Amino acid sequence: MKSEWLMEIVKRSENGPYCSEKEYDLLLAKTIPGLVKKFGIQYNANVLVPWDDDMADRMYQAALELLVELGAYNIDTQRRILFTKDEIEGAVFAAPSQLILGSEKDAVVMRHRGVESQVPCVIHSGPTGTPCSERYHPLIQASCAQEPLVDCLGAGSVSTYKGEKIIPGTPLEILGSQRDAAVIRQAAREAGRPGMHINDVASPLTCVGKISTYQPDWGLRASDGLLISQMVEFKTSYDQLSRAAYMQSVGMYIVDLMTPLVGGLGGGAEGTAIITVASHLLGVLLYNAAYHIYGHMHLLESTDTDRMGLWVYAAGGQALARNTPLLTINAIYTQAGLGTEEVLWEIAAASIACTVSGLHQGGVGATGGSRTDHTSGLENRFNAQVSHASLGLSRQEANSYVLEILRHYEESHMNPPEGKPFSQLYNESTVEPKPEWLEIYHRVSDSLEKMGLDVYNGWHRKWRFAL
Amino acid sequence: MQPEYEPLCQAIIQGRVEEGVALAIKMVEGGKLPVEIFSQCIEPTLTDVGDKFSRLEIFLPEMINAAEVVKAIQEAIRPFMVGSSEQVIKGRIVIATVFGDLHDIGKNIVKAMLEVNGYQVQDLGVDVHTQQIVKAAKEMDAQIIALSALMMSSLPFVRDVIDYVKSSPETARRFKVLVGGGCMSREWAKSAGADGYGENAFEAVTVTNRLMGMDQ
Repeated sequence: MKSEWLMEIVKRSENGPYCSEKEYDLLLAKTIPGLVKKFGIQYNANVLVPWDDDMADRMYQAALELLVELGAYNIDTQRRILFTKDEIEGAVFAAPSQLILGSEKDAVVMRHRGVESQVPCVIHSGPTGTPCSERYHPLIQASCAQEPLVDCLGAGSVSTYKGEKIIPGTPLEILGSQRDAAVIRQAAREAGRPGMHINDVASPLTCVGKISTYQPDWGLRASDGLLISQMVEFKTSYDQLSRAAYMQSVGMYIVDLMTPLVGGLGGGAEGTAIITVASHLLGVLLYNAAYHIYGHMHLLESTDTDRMGLWVYAAGGQALARNTPLLTINAIYTQAGLGTEEVLWEIAAASIACTVSGLHQGGVGATGGSRTDHTSGLENRFNAQVSHASLGLSRQEANSYVLEILRHYEESHMNPPEGKPFSQLYNESTVEPKPEWLEIYHRVSDSLEKMGLDVYNGWHRKWRFAL
Repeated sequence: MQPEYEPLCQAIIQGRVEEGVALAIKMVEGGKLPVEIFSQCIEPTLTDVGDKFSRLEIFLPEMINAAEVVKAIQEAIRPFMVGSSEQVIKGRIVIATVFGDLHDIGKNIVKAMLEVNGYQVQDLGVDVHTQQIVKAAKEMDAQIIALSALMMSSLPFVRDVIDYVKSSPETARRFKVLVGGGCMSREWAKSAGADGYGENAFEAVTVTNRLMGMDQ
């Protein structure tokens, strides 16, 4: 995005058709069913990783039509921001298909992945959407940074600063955000990987808080990123757009976050997948996003590892992989808590579905990001291993694995085991997983090996690809 | 449900506003009391809609559409009612996402559920200051203030509203505070002094009924 384009977004925000937020939501809700029908998009609860290329292409067309019809919505001006089809496709096809994330020896190349691609997933980690305590956030970051298969870090959301609750828009927000940026950089340095890409600092809620983390000497750098959000669904604000203005001026990676809700305004899985694909296109148009977080979620439970959630990953991922050059990472939100077999089974299902459908891996939010400190390095290692082991699978094979894996957690999915926080699963002195957590990790890994997935050695494919 | 109510039931489920209103008016003109229509048809239908939504067998648009039909029926049959609309409105509620939090989907679901269950709900939106919430509750003469928050950083503002309401005998007497959202637990709500906690939209309705003295 050139700066003139951002000016154009502001101009359209000020002059587009007026519409109350409720009217916009209803317009979306009424438009989606027609598109699902017109383009013949069908969810099948027994084919969670579909292999219908034509449906993937139709889904992209449906998303394009939806965006042309509705446009985005600026909640500050209560106006729609409209785009033509040519504008959308022009911007999307000019978007990067590969990026160098991080710096110097620790940089990784994130490439566009096609369907059933042999290109290894870049593995993001960190406490994806998970609240962290001040005390354990540094150790949690260290546990992720030290994992060799983890390529990038992301910050947790820490709600206090020296014990005081952080009030958004106050100096405490800046102090807390800068502390978090420094904590992550320090974790990367201590792991001997000072140039690791950091994809976000999650604590700040305002533009000022976010951009205060850009501190090249000790915090975030131009080789890092920050999230800019689309509010549910297709909504932006001047606070979000202002982040884009600052980030593009310093050269940071703009990361587009969306949270389409399965069962929400888009209806079921089909409509939500269309919305998710369209949100990716919108992330390019509004924010000039470098890459995207494919962050849909179940409406009533904060998870994307139920059947509909997995299908949305696979179907929408394929639509994007086949029809755009865009780069997108998942955000696996499990129902189960950390330190349980179920959390690993949920991760495995999503990891496989996403890997064969063109996504990269964005990390794990255990308990749907609802419980403090339910995050560690080990489940991110596991996610990476499963993803690399899945390289080369056909979608039919992936679907069989996913259905088999679902049998291990689906029954308890909506009444999941609570698990334990980081402090009970890691040795705080050595930052190593305790035997209890390792034993669970090996038990599930062994089961996957028996199913035929080479979890322990599959990561060799990553290096073979590099050679 | 009696067979005579089936067409109205289907109109609500399928979100057909004009048909639902026409059927309700026809029933009233035919001698049915509005209260009968609500208790024998609309409430059981909405309970069914809510149950299906809780299993995601239907989705948010269907819920919203059902609520729109019921709201339109309430408006349409008001002239036929003896006395006031209080016969079909169970209570008045202001609902808001607290200051510092922009998440509204949970609030919107609770609002829709409360409306389909017969409550008049004023939605104050997101990122709403404590004073604005209490002022709106006074102006509406609400019985319940419902607060939503997703972010952990919003918890102090939920507590702030509760403290503000409880700090004055007048507001403490007038308003019950119901809270819910991703960052809250039942234990936290209790410790903060909330009158009720809803883990989800369905529990929010149940707790609202209890706070209004309408335990079933």
